[in-house]
Amino acid sequence: MTAVAQREAASGGLWSRMSLGQKQVIWAWGFLAVPLVFYVVIRFWPTFQAFYLSVTDWTITKPAAFVGLENYKRLAADPLFWQVFRNTFLYLILGTPISLLISFVVAYYLDRVRFMHSLIRALYFLPFLTTAAAMAWVWRWFYQPVPIGVINDILASFGIPQQPFLRSTSQALPAVLAPAVWAGLGFQIIIFLAGLRAIPVTYYEAARIDGLSEGAILRKITLPLLKPTLVFLVVFSSIGFLRIFDQVYNINTNDPGGPLNSTKPLVLMIYQTAFSSYEMGYAAAQTVVLFLILLVISLVQLRLMRDR
Amino acid sequence: MATIELERLVKRFGPATVVHGIDLSIQDGEFVVLVGPSGCGKSTTLRMIAGLEEISDGTIRIDGRVVNELQPRDRNIAMVFQNYAIYPHVTVAENIAFGLYRSKLSKSEKRRRVEQVAETLGLTHLLERRPSALSGGQRQRVAIGRAMVRDPAAFLFDEPLSNLDAQLRTQMRIEIKRLHHRLGTTSVFVTHDQVEAMTMADRIVVMREGRILQVGTPLELYEKPVDVFTARFIGSPTMNLLPASLKDGGAALAVGGSVRAPLASATSSEILVGARPHDLVPSSAGSEGLTVSGTVAVVETLGSETLVHIESAGQTIIGSAPGRQIPRIGEHLTLHAPAEKLYYFDKATEKALTAR
Repeated sequence: MTAVAQREAASGGLWSRMSLGQKQVIWAWGFLAVPLVFYVVIRFWPTFQAFYLSVTDWTITKPAAFVGLENYKRLAADPLFWQVFRNTFLYLILGTPISLLISFVVAYYLDRVRFMHSLIRALYFLPFLTTAAAMAWVWRWFYQPVPIGVINDILASFGIPQQPFLRSTSQALPAVLAPAVWAGLGFQIIIFLAGLRAIPVTYYEAARIDGLSEGAILRKITLPLLKPTLVFLVVFSSIGFLRIFDQVYNINTNDPGGPLNSTKPLVLMIYQTAFSSYEMGYAAAQTVVLFLILLVISLVQLRLMRDR
Repeated sequence: MATIELERLVKRFGPATVVHGIDLSIQDGEFVVLVGPSGCGKSTTLRMIAGLEEISDGTIRIDGRVVNELQPRDRNIAMVFQNYAIYPHVTVAENIAFGLYRSKLSKSEKRRRVEQVAETLGLTHLLERRPSALSGGQRQRVAIGRAMVRDPAAFLFDEPLSNLDAQLRTQMRIEIKRLHHRLGTTSVFVTHDQVEAMTMADRIVVMREGRILQVGTPLELYEKPVDVFTARFIGSPTMNLLPASLKDGGAALAVGGSVRAPLASATSSEILVGARPHDLVPSSAGSEGLTVSGTVAVVETLGSETLVHIESAGQTIIGSAPGRQIPRIGEHLTLHAPAEKLYYFDKATEKALTAR
């Protein structure tokens, strides 16, 4: 160290004696502290609270007492839980493939449309902006018997018998799923379109010169190159269907999840356990189960669809 | 192998015409380079030959057969793109095999062909790699391999070297040329780089604004440019053009001095006298030919020679001095070019004027 540098270091405080690297570390942690504190307080702490509550019998009116795995045992023995479990998976295994297939087909053809492309795209996106409550009301009308319900009107004009839709235990779940699929289409189409646009045109030109047919181009070039988009949408939409709630709650306000719990998803069960029965400990246990399901399914999907 | 003929070929995009009825006949086995500045219609022309762009008017024949309405895959051509267009999700071998997609060969025969091509291009050890693990030059070779594997009637190259760095570009230039020597396949190569055109072509087609200006061998273009554009485009550094006016058998230069201009076809008295920098050397003597003098403004030392920019009457003139002889900046210098090395152009029409 030169004499000048020594004098400066001595006259300055702690800050000026630190090296550039040390200063950078302090700045970095300073900026990181804000989101870190936010996440710990708003996200992680409640999450751990939920884990803790799931092993207690807290019911708001009386203090929480440790009950071990009692809540989980009760859940496993509850026939309603298994019904809800089945419903939730039906939403997932029907909703994800159907919505992805429809949105891909729309995006694939919309990508080639030049005429009023932006307007059409905006129209597809519109349902995504609409509130679930309003949407559910409109769809409820659609499902009414004649003369109110549009769908039954159309069926009647073809001489097909009236369908009960939301009032049938077998038809209610698909009937609730339809608006949920429809509402998510806009978002998925936009993402697919962006993915399709990102594929260089010369890939297609080279394929045309090599003599690949339209189907072969789709199979051998478009879909493989769209894989990152596809992985994102599969995971994203799976999580969406596993957490389905507002569509179900709003379309059948008199008996949410009905008839006879045939449309009730896990999140609705949690909601009712917590805020109708006030069994917070039991609801927390259900939340933990949902969390684990989401975690496992996301990890499995990521693993399956990762590049080999 | 095949001939390619273009007859009154026109391309319009909406109201804009980008190719104005060009005629061109490419011989079997010939290496033809389409060269010109961007937007001159060279790539569009190539894409029309490939079938990637529709033809607005005119005829394209490949091997005597009119292909105007044929799909690209039915024209038996192969194309190499500027960004290689090799697929990132399959291996090098599979990429090359895409070229054989439509062929009826057995699987093992296809495999053999791919391996053969890979060997020719030195890609054998990379066959199982993904394109992301390759360098730019290797990727370009894969693209060429995919084109080669089918044994097409013609190769079409759309600026294939533009994405490579300078050193690699020189190397790939030689490789493509060597490959053409070996395979003898008719090739059409599009570039905006005149050095690529000069070094690779059997014949060069100079294009500008959708029209062909001149077709000829590299030397013909260098020695007998038909107009100012070709004269300036071919050759590096660019040819000097000095305005002059004709006066009783001679031309008085605007920068001072005069040259004898024995012109047969001059229609106006305003002309341009052209001299290539390599012909314009420092010299004090010389009454015949062009003599200009001025102050040295810039010196570019290249080792083998030295390019000298002198300023004379507001115009910059580039000459060349031997490698060891480096003039000082600010020095007064006289440059001289012999009479037989000079070019003459009409100033108004920019067409070449022939000597008597």
